[in-house]
Amino acid sequence: MFTWSTAAPAISAAFLASLVEVVEAFTIVLAVATLRGWRPAALGTAGALAVLGAIVLALGPLLDRVPLQLLQLVIGILLLLFGIGWLRKAALRAAGVVPLHDEDAIFAAETVHLGEEARRRRTSLDWIAGIAAFKAVLLEGLEVVFIVIAVGAGRGLLGAASLGALAACALVLVAGAIVHRPLSRVPENTLKFGVGVMLSAFGVFWTGEGLGIEWPGHDLALFLFAALFLAAGLLGSALARRAITEVAQ
Amino acid sequence: MTILKDVLAELVGMFLGDARLAAAILIVVALSAALIDVAGVEPLIGGGVLLVGCLSLVVESARRSGRRAAGS
Repeated sequence: MFTWSTAAPAISAAFLASLVEVVEAFTIVLAVATLRGWRPAALGTAGALAVLGAIVLALGPLLDRVPLQLLQLVIGILLLLFGIGWLRKAALRAAGVVPLHDEDAIFAAETVHLGEEARRRRTSLDWIAGIAAFKAVLLEGLEVVFIVIAVGAGRGLLGAASLGALAACALVLVAGAIVHRPLSRVPENTLKFGVGVMLSAFGVFWTGEGLGIEWPGHDLALFLFAALFLAAGLLGSALARRAITEVAQ
Repeated sequence: MTILKDVLAELVGMFLGDARLAAAILIVVALSAALIDVAGVEPLIGGGVLLVGCLSLVVESARRSGRRAAGS
């Protein structure tokens, strides 16, 4: 039985992180579909989803055998490495140090790249297009799989976190089917900032529990950690922006 | 083989994209663990070190990257 104070951050972190990753994968799949039709795009996507499903099915029973405290410690450390990395990058993008992700530019570049690759290798363009869709979904999906396992495994919330990820997939597919172009208006960096904040908060929480710390307020401590990481991310972004402005003047 | 290489690169990049930041995070975790398990301090103090250490890393790594970008 889970409480909403734990489930809500886990589901929303899985949903938001998946939204970002699925939007990125969708851009490549759409480029493939635009160039060669939906058949190679759908085959590549289905193949990657099958591999990702196999990874989850293989990892699920293995995770059940790991003692809970060790699982929390390992996942907590991985979450810290992953979450703080995301938060740092989002803070730098917000400060203008790193360029923002441009889905329209990625779509155009991928379309050109696929054509060049087919000419260079003299292979069937359908095959290359299918492989491109497969790789995009597999690579972006790996991050989704990790996030779902990371925020869900420690408290028996795998099912709930998976639902959050599936809801994000469904939302992107519906939006993509309606607009039929790259979803460039999704506020990707804001989402990444939010996800980085949540994953970092989960990272401190799980790592601490893995080290035997009983956080005051239990699951509610997650909200305090998230608020502190949000403040740290905003402060880091402001300092990075100031460094650039000072040099420019 | 290229796909396998890309998958491995993706996995390494996910956790160790910035080697310096990753090393610093691991040092903070190790320090907290040592305080609790070796020095025998109150676990919550170790937790405080973990939290404050990670928050400081977010601020410092963003500030450092900003200065580096400004200098280049």
